[in-house]
Amino acid sequence: MLISKSMVDKVITIDKEANIFEAKQKMQEYNIRHIPVVDENNKLIGIVTDRDIRSVLPSILLNNINLEEEKKKISQFRIKDIMTKNPITLLPTHTIQDALLLIQKTKVGAFPVVDESGILTGIISVRDLLSAFISVLGIGEPGTLLGIAVEDKPGQMKKIVDAITEENISFGSIMVCKYGKKGERSVFPYLLTQNVATVKKKLEKMGYKILDPMEWYIEQLPQNK
Amino acid sequence: MRKTGFLYDDRYLLHDTGEVHPETSERLVCIYKGIKDSGLLSQLTLIKAHRPFLKWILKVHDKDYVNRFERACKDGSKTFESPDNPICRLSFKTAVLAVGGILKAVKLVMKRKIDNAFCAVRPPGHHAEPGKAMGFCFFNNIAIAANYLKIKWGVQRIGIVDFDVHHGNGTQKIFEDDPMVFFYSIHQHPSFAYPGTGREFEKGTGLGEGYTKNTPVLPGMGDETYKKFFMRDFFSAFTIFEPEVILISAGFDAHMDDEMSDMKLSTECFSWMMEKIIEIADKYANGRIISILEGGYCLKRLPELAREHVKLLLYS
Repeated sequence: MLISKSMVDKVITIDKEANIFEAKQKMQEYNIRHIPVVDENNKLIGIVTDRDIRSVLPSILLNNINLEEEKKKISQFRIKDIMTKNPITLLPTHTIQDALLLIQKTKVGAFPVVDESGILTGIISVRDLLSAFISVLGIGEPGTLLGIAVEDKPGQMKKIVDAITEENISFGSIMVCKYGKKGERSVFPYLLTQNVATVKKKLEKMGYKILDPMEWYIEQLPQNK
Repeated sequence: MRKTGFLYDDRYLLHDTGEVHPETSERLVCIYKGIKDSGLLSQLTLIKAHRPFLKWILKVHDKDYVNRFERACKDGSKTFESPDNPICRLSFKTAVLAVGGILKAVKLVMKRKIDNAFCAVRPPGHHAEPGKAMGFCFFNNIAIAANYLKIKWGVQRIGIVDFDVHHGNGTQKIFEDDPMVFFYSIHQHPSFAYPGTGREFEKGTGLGEGYTKNTPVLPGMGDETYKKFFMRDFFSAFTIFEPEVILISAGFDAHMDDEMSDMKLSTECFSWMMEKIIEIADKYANGRIISILEGGYCLKRLPELAREHVKLLLYS
């Protein structure tokens, strides 16, 4: 779950002396929202976002100003004038979990990834993390999600996994979360099969409660206040 | 009364899925019995299994895949590509005969020998992709039928309605870029059901954009929700598309007594959907419908579901 496995490593970058429209054009062309700013040695010096760009452009709704003239003026500004200097970065050896928690904490949409000497080696955005999360959940593959309420005590998971394995069913993923009453947890195995009727009955026979799918929920992480 | 074809053959029972699998030959026995016991058989034009030209299967499936499937059966493998897909030595032959029977039914409809048809076949087909067996399906029967209509009979607008409770991912994939085939599916929401596709934003690609429509329905919902969504999505889309022929992936597993889903449909709701499909078929397609069995696993309910289905094809 290292960042290096999920990040984009062919990074679109920009020079600090480039003009603002060049960055805008790159964002449109590559369908991206963050461009790291690097020096001639590929050392990270800042990051420019589509929000930075939009905030310096005239509103397209204002038609009484001379747009061309405004654009000419704006084109004299350089990336270094609007970029965020010293952005928050991650190392390739950070994990996906680090990135998720950092996004939750900082509300930043993408982190440049640099090596120990500050050389840019990649970028990881919310989009890349979403792809990683989809892959972790296994929902790119055909299967069926089950919801099982269990008592919060050791050994429950083993029984459930054994029961499912005995039916010769493969797991796409398995999630465990807090659920409902105190002392209860819910287990969500994503099973790579269409045929869950038998295993559902079996689990019920073992005394587990199969959750009503309409009642499923995942408790929110504690908010950082 | 219409001339309705009924495809059934004892050879469709030969695909043996073992002792504990929901897709059993018992399903077909129940369906046949339901139709026979209600005295409908004498009203129907009986169609038997038939060997098709292999080329029609190869229009949809990769040659390598077809060979793999045939070899697995010949070698006596117990499953094919996933534990979901049990096979026996006769599974390949049965699957080929299912396709052949369906193509024969299509031919009879196109030659106006019959008005419409119900094809009670096994194995089912709508999950099968060009190179992949999935969810008890090996050959995508309905996709092969649609291609046959296009190529052999020159049909320009084919409408597929899939009301099996699971999304018809295979059929969607095969026609997602094809504006000549409109694929409509109503099913249990993919976050809660196999195979995990069929979301509203899947609308087709390239030239086929706008010719795929999906209605995911949350678990626990019943007739009222289905009827509302079916009118909103299927009825309006097909009114615009004006299909020349309608193919149905008829799965009965959204029934409240079927353990394979969390939907709560009554038998009456299946009839209601059929009435709406027939209404569209009469308006644009000269009544031409070929309905092909997919899922439906409640052995207690299958006789009445099949009987009502066929009754509507005959009498509405």
